Amino acid sequence: MIDEWLLEKDSYIPKGEKNSYIEKSIFSMVKTVSIIRENKIKEGIIYHINPLLKVVISILNLIFIAITRSFIYVGIFDIYLLSALLMMDKRDRIRIIKMSLIFPIITFIALIPAILMGNIYNSLLILQKVLSTIVLMSILSHTTRWSDINKALKLMFIPDIIIWIMDITIKYIVLLAEYSIDLLFALKLRSVGSSKDKNKFISSIVGNVFLKSYKMSEEMSSAMECRGFVGEYSISKNLTFKKYDYIYVIINLGMFLLFAIKFV
Amino acid sequence: MIRLEDVSFKYKNKVALNKIDINIEEGESIAIIGPNGSGKSTLLKLLNGIIFASQGKYFFDETEISEETIKDNKFSKSFHKKIGFVFQNSDTQLFCSTVFEEIAFGPIQMGLSNEDIEKRVSSCLRMLNIEKVKDEHPYNLSGGEKKRVAIASVLALNPEVLVLDEPMNGIDPKGKKFLKELLIMLNKSGKTIICATHDFEYVEGIFKRGIVFSENHNIIRDDRYENIIKDKQFLEEHNII
Amino acid sequence: MAIFVFKEFGGVKMHIPDNYLSPSTCATFGVAMVPVWRRAIIKIKQEVTRQKMPLLGVCAAFSFLVMMFNIPLPGGTTGHAVGAALAAILLGPYCAVISVTIALTVQALFFGDGGVLALAVNCFNMAFIMPFTAHYVFNFIKSFIKNKKGEHIGVFIAGYVSLNIAALFTAIEFGIQPILFKDGAGLPIYSPYGLAIAIPAMMIPHLLVAGVLEGIITTGVYSYVKKLTPEIIYKESKNRIKPLYFLIGILVLATPLGLLATGTAWGEWGAEEVQELVGFIPNGMKNGFNFSAPMPDYGLEGLKEYFAYILSALVGITVIFLIIKLWGKVSYKNSQKVQND
Repeated sequence: MIDEWLLEKDSYIPKGEKNSYIEKSIFSMVKTVSIIRENKIKEGIIYHINPLLKVVISILNLIFIAITRSFIYVGIFDIYLLSALLMMDKRDRIRIIKMSLIFPIITFIALIPAILMGNIYNSLLILQKVLSTIVLMSILSHTTRWSDINKALKLMFIPDIIIWIMDITIKYIVLLAEYSIDLLFALKLRSVGSSKDKNKFISSIVGNVFLKSYKMSEEMSSAMECRGFVGEYSISKNLTFKKYDYIYVIINLGMFLLFAIKFV
Repeated sequence: MIRLEDVSFKYKNKVALNKIDINIEEGESIAIIGPNGSGKSTLLKLLNGIIFASQGKYFFDETEISEETIKDNKFSKSFHKKIGFVFQNSDTQLFCSTVFEEIAFGPIQMGLSNEDIEKRVSSCLRMLNIEKVKDEHPYNLSGGEKKRVAIASVLALNPEVLVLDEPMNGIDPKGKKFLKELLIMLNKSGKTIICATHDFEYVEGIFKRGIVFSENHNIIRDDRYENIIKDKQFLEEHNII
Repeated sequence: MAIFVFKEFGGVKMHIPDNYLSPSTCATFGVAMVPVWRRAIIKIKQEVTRQKMPLLGVCAAFSFLVMMFNIPLPGGTTGHAVGAALAAILLGPYCAVISVTIALTVQALFFGDGGVLALAVNCFNMAFIMPFTAHYVFNFIKSFIKNKKGEHIGVFIAGYVSLNIAALFTAIEFGIQPILFKDGAGLPIYSPYGLAIAIPAMMIPHLLVAGVLEGIITTGVYSYVKKLTPEIIYKESKNRIKPLYFLIGILVLATPLGLLATGTAWGEWGAEEVQELVGFIPNGMKNGFNFSAPMPDYGLEGLKEYFAYILSALVGITVIFLIIKLWGKVSYKNSQKVQND
């Protein structure tokens, strides 16, 4: 029953070809999934502030930082961000700090020519702003659940059905990423030599993921219909505020005031 | 209550169901048995109005279920309330952002008051032993927890018929025992249970009747469950064990 | 100097981060995108039954994930594809608009990748320009070379061209910042590199590398899906190559408008603010927004006006494109009505 070649041992010496694209793809997928799975509510007041408030105020702060021309405002805002960071879970804090250093460094490198040409004030200001923006948005995404951030978008006149689609998107990112990881591992385990057609492999994995997406969406449609879904989806707003919500609002009103003073 | 008359289903020239006749009364508990590809899942989908017969008729509570009748939103909603479907793959069955919302989805659609919704969801959480994950995202749960959330979310509709597609797949022994007890109790309280299953180990006591599909997509035996299980020769002959 | 800029702007990602574009630019593009989004949602409701709603979420997830795959390049390095062209060809341009928009939103809000304020601009480039360009290029080439080879060539070119056009728009969005938004000393407030730098810095890597990569991936996945389940692929029910190219050509030559006009008005912000700080409006700044006046600071006056003109023309194209599309739908519906009567 078994053919001859299986009865012998091969003497195979592979060529030293790198297949880093598989590892890198796996790495970014795994990172994505772990970020999503880590997104839950932990101990600490900052995690429990009303998400609607957090989203609205963070975006307002974002806008003000983008507009301001004052180093002092951004500086004081940074102090505010630092104190928010201190209120967070240690692991989150470390992760945010790591993430927040990479991009500003790249920005700095990119702005060196401009600085050398004499555009110092503005370039440093951009650098400051980039740092603050990244930390601000990272704090938001680490202390608020995605489904809550999503629901806050309802305020921007985004239809409920789109908000629901965005919720599903995150869920599917997890499912499809894990499926992709399986496919990528399978590819890696069978990449025992060299090949000229690497693009074909990646294309077929991506194609496979697409087909799987399609099938999954059909199954989900059936599931929804079985539970009585006929195209309408309504989202209820969470408008209960606690004591620390008021404190949060007051602090931020102070920041807005500071911006206004420095702007005029 | 459920009646299939000479039902066939074809998809892209492949026959999935071949001239099926079934009669199911309220309160029965039936196992759908057969080798892979014999049409079990297709039958369940048809019972739930996701696909429609290419030939023959399907009657639920004396009303025909067809593509036209399902188009009526009101009818479709009341139909889907009466018959609940637990999919084989829990991942695609759950589509809300938290377990609580998932279970509340059905009752909200039905228009219950907030109080009633709270009561119903808490009760489902308790019965399925998933209270501690009620604020979790469904994709962060284990296989067994996901399955229980799926069952809870279907149960929340308080359906009269519960249809399950291979519910024991991927569940550990403790989970299987739990599901078995649950299904027995649900059947005792009057719900009709229809279940496609491969697993004969953990399902003792659940089913009273069995319907066997052959590789040719038709029904070859419709008998009491014990009789079928004891007939090893029959089961081997038709690739079921 | 150019090398540094290369690294930054010519980088693999086309996502524009925050604080590089003025808030007014972001807001303008936000306003421009609203009709596009609305149109896409309406079109989708027509073409996609309620059963297919989850498909959008799944495709958004797919668009998101495509950007995570590392594609092998000769020499052992890797790159990324955007996937918007692929989405447009497989799902249709309107689905692609929504899917890529959602993918970008998730990236910005949840992963902190790409600016939040700049989201509308990124959507304009990658969720509007890119899918539609890919769609029209693909259909255009398909209608010329009617065999299978033509189809694959069409897919490749659609991917290549659409990415590069999106990159061009991105480069222009960066490049006009220093022209429009300056402080009291005449120095750029936001992205400091003008069109003369931004355009080559972005276009060269995209023309040489990223575009080819996008083309390869788009073609590869398209043929894979076509082989396995061809019936899923989007087929436009009405296939029209509009004669609007001719119209656009004329209007481009005749109408410099749009962003520059509003930009001027908004650029005034900077002037007033500076006045408070410094007590006067420096001459350089006063003249900065009047393009017929000479610009003593830079001495590149001819060049600046030329680029500004190109920019306004390109913006003009887009606005006109939108108008004509809408008009085209209306007149098509009317002609349909006439046919049916």
